[in-house]
Amino acid sequence: MVRLEKIEYKPRPVRDLLTEIKDLSELMIDLAYSAALFHSYELAEEVLELEKRVDTLTYILGMSAMLAARDAEDAEALIGVYAVATAADKISDAAADIATIVLQKIGIHPIVREAFQKVEERLARAKVYFSSILVGHRLGELELAAKIGVDIIAIRRKGEWIINPEEDETIDKEDVLIARGAPLGVEELKGLAEGTIQKFED
Amino acid sequence: MASTKKLFKNITNRLVELKDTSELMMDLAYSSVLLNSRELAEEVQELEERVDSLHTEFELLVLSSGFKPEESKDFLGLIRLGVVAERIADAAAEISEVVLRGLKPHPVLKLVIEEAEETVTRVQVAKKSSLIGKKLRDIQLPEETGMWVLVIRRGKKWLRPQPNTVIKAGDVLIASGYTEGEEDLMKLASGETVLSE
Repeated sequence: MVRLEKIEYKPRPVRDLLTEIKDLSELMIDLAYSAALFHSYELAEEVLELEKRVDTLTYILGMSAMLAARDAEDAEALIGVYAVATAADKISDAAADIATIVLQKIGIHPIVREAFQKVEERLARAKVYFSSILVGHRLGELELAAKIGVDIIAIRRKGEWIINPEEDETIDKEDVLIARGAPLGVEELKGLAEGTIQKFED
Repeated sequence: MASTKKLFKNITNRLVELKDTSELMMDLAYSSVLLNSRELAEEVQELEERVDSLHTEFELLVLSSGFKPEESKDFLGLIRLGVVAERIADAAAEISEVVLRGLKPHPVLKLVIEEAEETVTRVQVAKKSSLIGKKLRDIQLPEETGMWVLVIRRGKKWLRPQPNTVIKAGDVLIASGYTEGEEDLMKLASGETVLSE
């Protein structure tokens, strides 16, 4: 039996909903290609989680748009918003299909994968443990880009997503960081997040 | 063996182009809505056709590669990646359709898309522009204007910009960058300002 999340209307500004749908769908494309090209189950799983979220948000946006229309003119303007949201939803579905390539163990031909790996930066998921030295620090003060060449492009915190987090975002235990960078830097970030590395290498 | 190498190079190049073009289309499609620009929306539609034919070429290449049964999964993955790029291109085309159907973009769309700092612009190189006859490498657009060329349309052809691509009169440059650089690029293309030596 297929279990899907029950959809309930929640009042949220259409603008916020569409921003989140657009940002998530773009993040998903990056994550999905990275999952396929670097054979990462972790990233592929994140993509599938995100896909469910985008589905739900698209429903809620549809309902909000319906409630916001008072006359034909409103409806003409709002249908465009809805069309953009459903297109972004389709992009997220496409990303989920890439993730499925990995999860179904279909795989990408190694020669092509190698060629891509040379041009693509690596994305990775790192879970922050309570013993990590990152906990309680703001991204701005950690200077991860300067120190280990890694950018945090998203944070998942208790089911919520923070896309392109600001400098004053503080890392909390149990955060899941999505990072972009060179392979060595990404490995170091994983160690720092999991607590197996307790200081920045010089 | 040499021919296998060439085959994979072709497959990889096509896939890179499919992926790049579909992502470019997303940027252009959102920009067409932001600017309520029919022109940009039409570019997206044309790119969609380009992706369709690229995708077919790619599939034929993969299918004619003479793979062994035990390699079929690896090749299936390639076929699937191609399908996905094509679907992303379709979704981008749908976004641009909002403009082509004459729906006036809702203010919310502008707010959402503008949250991204970068903008995409489209300029045609006029006959008197100082860019004509110069290589992209030499005109250093990113340094001069803060804009970088995503794609060049020359007649019916789409060119991916390379450092030694020579700009010709009538080229349509689609460029991305920060809003401030847009005017500088337009002036350079129209010939209103001249490249500094």
